[in-house]
Amino acid sequence: MEYKNKEVQAAAKVLREKLEKLEDKRAILRAPELGALYERIKTLPAGKARAEFGKQANALKSELESLVRKTVTSNLSPATSIDVTAPFDVNVKAEDRPKLLTADSGSRHPLMSELETILDIFCRMGFTAVESREIDDDYHMFSSLNFPPGHPARDEYDTFVTDEGLIAPAHTSIMQNRVFGSMETPIRAVIPGRVFRNEDLDARHEHTFYQLEGVYVDEGINAGHLIATLKTFFQEYFQKDIEVKTQPFYFPFTEPSFEFAASCPFCDGKGCNICSQTGWIELLGCGMIHPSVLKEGNIDPSKYTGFAWGGGIERLVMIKYGIEDIRHFHSGNLKFLRQFA
Amino acid sequence: MPDGIDTLVEKIGAQLGAVEEVIDLGKKYQGIVVAKVVKCEKHPNADKLSVCLIDDGKTVKNVKRNKDRLVEVVCGAPNVAAGQLVAWIPPGVTVPSTEDKESFVLEAREIRGVVSNGMIASAKELALGDDHSGIVVIDEPAKPGQPFAEVYGLNDYIIDIENKMFTHRPDLFGMLGIARELAGIQNQVFKSPGWYKEKVEVPKPRGNGLKLTIKNQLPQLVPRFMAVAIRDIEVRPSPVRLQAYLSRIGIRPINNIVDLTNFFMMETAQPLHAYDYDKLSAGSIETRLAKAGEELVVLGGKKIKLHKEDIVIASGGKAIGLGGVMGGAGTEVDASTKNIVIEVANFGMNSIRRTAMTHGLFTDAATRFTKNQSPRQNLAVMAKAMADIMSMAGGRQASALVDDKHFKQVEQKVRVTVDFINARLGEQLTLVQIKKLMENVEFKVEISGETLKIEAPFWRTDIEIPEDVVEEVGRLYGYDHLPLELPSRNLTPAELNRSLAFKQQISEILSAAGANEVLNYSFVHGSLIEKAGQDIALAFHIKNALSPDLQYYRPSLAPSLLEKVHPNIKAGFDSFCLFEIGRAHVRGILDKGKLPAELDRLAFVFADKRADKSRGASYYQAKHYVLFLADRLGVGEFISVPLSEADLAPEWRQVAKAYAPARSAAIFSDQTFLGLVGEPSSSLRTGLKLPSYTAQAELDLVALATVSMGSVYEPLNRYPSLEQDITLKVPAELTYAEIVDFVSNFLDKLSQPAGYQGSVGPLDIFQSSTDKTHKNVTLRIVMTHPGRTLTTQEVNKLLDELAAEAKTSLKADRI
Repeated sequence: MEYKNKEVQAAAKVLREKLEKLEDKRAILRAPELGALYERIKTLPAGKARAEFGKQANALKSELESLVRKTVTSNLSPATSIDVTAPFDVNVKAEDRPKLLTADSGSRHPLMSELETILDIFCRMGFTAVESREIDDDYHMFSSLNFPPGHPARDEYDTFVTDEGLIAPAHTSIMQNRVFGSMETPIRAVIPGRVFRNEDLDARHEHTFYQLEGVYVDEGINAGHLIATLKTFFQEYFQKDIEVKTQPFYFPFTEPSFEFAASCPFCDGKGCNICSQTGWIELLGCGMIHPSVLKEGNIDPSKYTGFAWGGGIERLVMIKYGIEDIRHFHSGNLKFLRQFA
Repeated sequence: MPDGIDTLVEKIGAQLGAVEEVIDLGKKYQGIVVAKVVKCEKHPNADKLSVCLIDDGKTVKNVKRNKDRLVEVVCGAPNVAAGQLVAWIPPGVTVPSTEDKESFVLEAREIRGVVSNGMIASAKELALGDDHSGIVVIDEPAKPGQPFAEVYGLNDYIIDIENKMFTHRPDLFGMLGIARELAGIQNQVFKSPGWYKEKVEVPKPRGNGLKLTIKNQLPQLVPRFMAVAIRDIEVRPSPVRLQAYLSRIGIRPINNIVDLTNFFMMETAQPLHAYDYDKLSAGSIETRLAKAGEELVVLGGKKIKLHKEDIVIASGGKAIGLGGVMGGAGTEVDASTKNIVIEVANFGMNSIRRTAMTHGLFTDAATRFTKNQSPRQNLAVMAKAMADIMSMAGGRQASALVDDKHFKQVEQKVRVTVDFINARLGEQLTLVQIKKLMENVEFKVEISGETLKIEAPFWRTDIEIPEDVVEEVGRLYGYDHLPLELPSRNLTPAELNRSLAFKQQISEILSAAGANEVLNYSFVHGSLIEKAGQDIALAFHIKNALSPDLQYYRPSLAPSLLEKVHPNIKAGFDSFCLFEIGRAHVRGILDKGKLPAELDRLAFVFADKRADKSRGASYYQAKHYVLFLADRLGVGEFISVPLSEADLAPEWRQVAKAYAPARSAAIFSDQTFLGLVGEPSSSLRTGLKLPSYTAQAELDLVALATVSMGSVYEPLNRYPSLEQDITLKVPAELTYAEIVDFVSNFLDKLSQPAGYQGSVGPLDIFQSSTDKTHKNVTLRIVMTHPGRTLTTQEVNKLLDELAAEAKTSLKADRI
């Protein structure tokens, strides 16, 4: 490439020769000759000539950058094959060979370890854990759960949809039908999983989060059992006695449906920042499984009844550690991650 | 209201729905009193102002009064006049409209030389509407000095209840329904007003008629369309009471006709609409679907392009309204309107939902129709609305009441036993208790033996099955009263989820090895898939993604981890290992249920910014981690095959695109493919600004689980082992595995019948800078014998034999 400006052309010649000899090609971008060109711009009177000089200097800089990129790329990805069957590279001294990082730098993700704590309690209570899915069909997301096609109740779930009409599940209830179809009564299952809502990100809202679903189906299961089971779980989880309350709600797949709240375990219901001074924390949605949902899962609703619940995991973890921003969970930021054992 | 407000709010929360907010409306009007304008004269120094002397019954304290104990107030309203009863905001009192914002407290202030003690309020200042053109003139009996709030029932509470739990309860979108429910949860009998519940006579026209023709072309979507013409009405502002009622629930008063239609919607949950009769084409109204390209200017002036599935109200071939959602501007009732048509119709919920979503018009009417309003209340609502309109705006019925019906007039009846209810609630309610709870909210209940025959009132569309009755009884009774008892179970252990346990085990192994567990989104930017060299057509595309960053399901996990390398290096971390346990999805790869397979994967990356050439290829670092994990899991027969030589399944061919082929391997346990390990492709390196010492791995967790055998124990030997090192100079192209396999085979042969036990491990691999055709591999051989102590000579002899065989088989020279 030729530069009309003599000064730039001269610098280009010098820099290209220098580049040839350099071991670390990237150093050329810090070469004094290049810096001098930019210093020179400042001394020129404002106007057309100065603009033209600046343009050429920039062109030279990008030429060098592209030359560097070529050489660096080829260095980084050497065509040379290595012996993949070996435990270490040739001529590498013992102290430079691969080794594990020290245990103190390792960490488990707080959401995953909390989920384990929760699952452990439910497993001790007799529940089997079943994994959820991350992509599903309309049938499991809606129809099997008593949402007729076109029903306005579907609007409550702002789902992501793929080109082929598959759905990123907005709740772990997608697994209810499968659990009913595959397990023998009495059915006791907890279903952890990743769920998705078409919601803008901020410190309190995520489009991707974790939920835990639970179902219990047997003869004679009633609403009192539901509330008692959840209360027992949360007393074990928080390691203290708590009060609970329910609030009527509407879900198409449970009848009756509730929102379930517990007295704030941090202030014993007196009111604090965690419970927004209300003394209560809302924990999950629940209800008695709708007979249509049981029937759709090949369970006879005249013989069996059951309850189901579903709640988020993030909030529990955020409360527990005082995490201020839900976006940290999926940030991959080591400053965040390494604070957890 | 037998209970106080706090008890009621608590009850609502427990038995009706979440209370968002309780507003003490009376507080907003505290200090505002009724005053009589005794004298009203022009302001001496301002044309548009008046100076008034008002009588507040001498009730307000700390205010300056004249000798007659009247108060002087300056007023700018053109309609102020002596003799009026007005709302006076005295000094020291907050203007209600500013209460939610920066509250503005009045004080005695001089206006052009005259001191004004507070102000005479307009509707806007009283937060009763937008009208700022004049003061509110009290139009109902009131005494000077009486608190203003008392006159219009504003000394009240507004309880804002979240409506999410009313999705199946059309009746709870009206005041009547809520009032009935409030009675029910307090175990009180509710009686609907007679005009609503009792049999209604169809009103008949009087005098000269107006022609009204209704043509409902959509009997499926519009199950009931009722309309009537009324002539010679007078449009004017509504009485203050009605305006006050509407504004406190957030509806802007417009004129008496529109206000009344809104009032009845709020009272009964049945939306109504009023048309200006003279703006219709020859008194004709039809319902039909929108035509291609048809447009409509809706109330408020916005022009919308209609969708072919929208229900349209039309007149003379032109759309005049979006049925059940919003009226059109062209037939709006305004100050000049003389004759009107009132519509009380019923629209299908699914269709209304679609239209509201298509046009983003989530109006009060649409909200109600999407809850499946009962078509059986229309006549009552129509008859009462007509009567109230004619009493408020004058006029007379000018057409027959048209009632186009396409629904079954059947009662919803459910039979349910007391046991059924108790079994689901876990309670012991009696037949009589249940009957009372249901009758309180106007269900018809007949007891026959142990069975309750229940008939839902006509406004309920949600009572279909016995479980619906259980919900009703449980809620009215109060779930918080249910006895709490855990279900009992036998001691059969719950089945273990091996997949979850395995994932947990891996996470524990890797975090103990200094790695950090990461969770990345399931969705990635298309550019990441492209940087990874993967075929974007094989990734599921999300058509309503929030942003391009989340547009595709990821076909492999490691690229998302690699994306996290640079930000962490920038944040000051030089050397780290990240891992993620998650799912990949690839189009065309299905599971048994014919749905996209959930591919359980483990991915990890290792990066070290400071590593230089002396560390060799980063590949070995990643492999080191894989080997460590394999060892902990008890994976036998670990084999690495150069990526270029491996025959991969289609979904793994996609993963492999992210790897530099000459510096990566496919790994197996015996014949079982486990995954890939290696260095990132050059496009990932540059695209994600990776340090040159970066390596990655991605493993198939299902395969890994099948070959994980746990720890394997070998009995300890009583005799000491003997170590000997051997260095073989071999051709450079011979792989390490070939050499070790050869040595291992040799050692295996020694075990029978001689009983030697030998193992081999690496010590060093050296290549001279001058001779690239060979390399020296140094191995450490450890020999033991279960029956005796070995001698050095004995082992040396074995190694001599080994070297000799290596010479012929591998062309290796012992150094």
